[in-house]
Amino acid sequence: MTLLARGSVVVAVWLGLGGAAPRAAAAQTARDLVSQGVRAYRALEYDAAVALLRRSLTEGVVGTLSTAERAQALTYLGATELFRGRRDSATLAFGNVVLLDPRYRPDELIFPPQVTSLFQEVRQATKTVAVTVPPVTELRAKGDRFTARVFTSSLADVAVTLARDDGTPVRELYTGPVADSLAVTWDGFSAGGTPVSTGRYILRVAPRTEGAAGPPARQVALDIEQRASDTLPWPPAPTAPALLPERAPAGPAVRSLAAGFLAAVAAIALPSVVAHGSGGGSDARFAVGAAIGTAGVVGFIAQHPGRPLAANIRANAPQRDAWTQRLESVKAENATRRASLRLVIRAAPIATADRGGTSP
Amino acid sequence: MRGYAAGLAILVFVLPPDVARAQERPTVALRGDVAAVWLRQAMTPGVTALLRGPALAGEARVNYGPFWLGAGLLEGRLDDGAGQASRRDLVEGRLAVGARALPWLEVSLGPLLRAYVIDSGTERWVVWQGRARVDAPIIATSLTSHVELWRALSSRVTLPPLTAGRVQGGEAGVTYQPPRGPVWLRLAYRVDNALLGAGSETVEAVSFSVGFGR
Repeated sequence: MTLLARGSVVVAVWLGLGGAAPRAAAAQTARDLVSQGVRAYRALEYDAAVALLRRSLTEGVVGTLSTAERAQALTYLGATELFRGRRDSATLAFGNVVLLDPRYRPDELIFPPQVTSLFQEVRQATKTVAVTVPPVTELRAKGDRFTARVFTSSLADVAVTLARDDGTPVRELYTGPVADSLAVTWDGFSAGGTPVSTGRYILRVAPRTEGAAGPPARQVALDIEQRASDTLPWPPAPTAPALLPERAPAGPAVRSLAAGFLAAVAAIALPSVVAHGSGGGSDARFAVGAAIGTAGVVGFIAQHPGRPLAANIRANAPQRDAWTQRLESVKAENATRRASLRLVIRAAPIATADRGGTSP
Repeated sequence: MRGYAAGLAILVFVLPPDVARAQERPTVALRGDVAAVWLRQAMTPGVTALLRGPALAGEARVNYGPFWLGAGLLEGRLDDGAGQASRRDLVEGRLAVGARALPWLEVSLGPLLRAYVIDSGTERWVVWQGRARVDAPIIATSLTSHVELWRALSSRVTLPPLTAGRVQGGEAGVTYQPPRGPVWLRLAYRVDNALLGAGSETVEAVSFSVGFGR
């Protein structure tokens, strides 16, 4: 580091602190401050680095750091404080990193062993839990699960519970130790085995030995929407012309009656038609006419409308059976779909819920 | 002759081409009748002679596709119930060629020869007939009714004036064919009427038939 470079860093810090141009410093974003702080750290300008990094973590700075960026800034801050000989401040910074993200580890290629060792000590000493959930989960089939990942900085006994937003318990998802991380799954059902209804729920990850020194609980609000599964339409029942008529229509019966009636009338009226003026015919024609008419009536009765047509019923049976099987299959599938849960779970941002209070 | 030509024209032209083209092996159908016959003759105004009697008849028919050729014979003995003097034998022969123009319509043409034999002589009729028959099923193919009408295309008779006037007739009946087997039964009533000068002659018959083949 040349003298010129050191001077530029000091000037930059001075500008950053707002001593000369407060309006310009206010315009700097938190991300810029972190970058400048990291450069100051690397230039061994620890005082400037501390000032820049602390400012980047201050509320009200333009721009918002992500969790990873805040962890990085805090780690550089802790390392800087360590090298400034302020071990307590370094411990506090590292503790905040652990609270922020229990999984975070300083890069051993960037930070020397004394920094990573202190971080490890602080991590072991700081009890904290974290939880991550997917933003949207859809449970469609019976085997689908909602998965929440629970992280701890060190071995901790935790309870993962689901409750309605009014505090009514729904289900305890896990109770026990977590050494590093744990995937907790939920099938969408309450403790009673019934699907949960639509509404807002709270997934809470809390240490089982809650106290003043214990890690804060974490919770996430879940907006759960229960959606009815689509059911399959019933297959259309086979109808004519695919099926032969199974009941006798009126036509043949009426035609039978008409054929018999007209032939009977013809038998009776023939002498009048063909032998007009030659005297009346014999009475025997009435007997024949009656016989023909009776045949017509018999035909009408034998083919009366609505009578079952056994041959057609037998011929239709395979098609009807196939349709019945398809219908039963669809009914079974629909019953399965109705019984299956279809939930859409949308997660709100993770919040810290410590000792009855909640803060994002 | 004009009558024959008209009959042949009817027979040929009413046949749809597809029916006429159908080719099948020839089949034979037979029929035997038992009949009660009534003959009413009114040759003199105000005087009507009524004779009645039984008759036996038979008919053979050869079918070839929609066409058929048939020959029939009827013999009976008629009297008025008063005694031998009025008795006469009835002999009737018929030859016809026909065709089924439609599933429900059959047309035919042919001569009918009828003779009344009495001790003093024989009265003979020769009539060329054109016939049309309509079949109407009552129960599918097992029970069928039919109505047949015919009219003479020409006639000749040994009685004066030797040529009859209008000669026509008709038949109505019902046929039962059991679902299995070629035998069928028929009950029918028929009537023939001929105007002969100022008089007329009417023959009626109620017949019960047993047939084999169609």
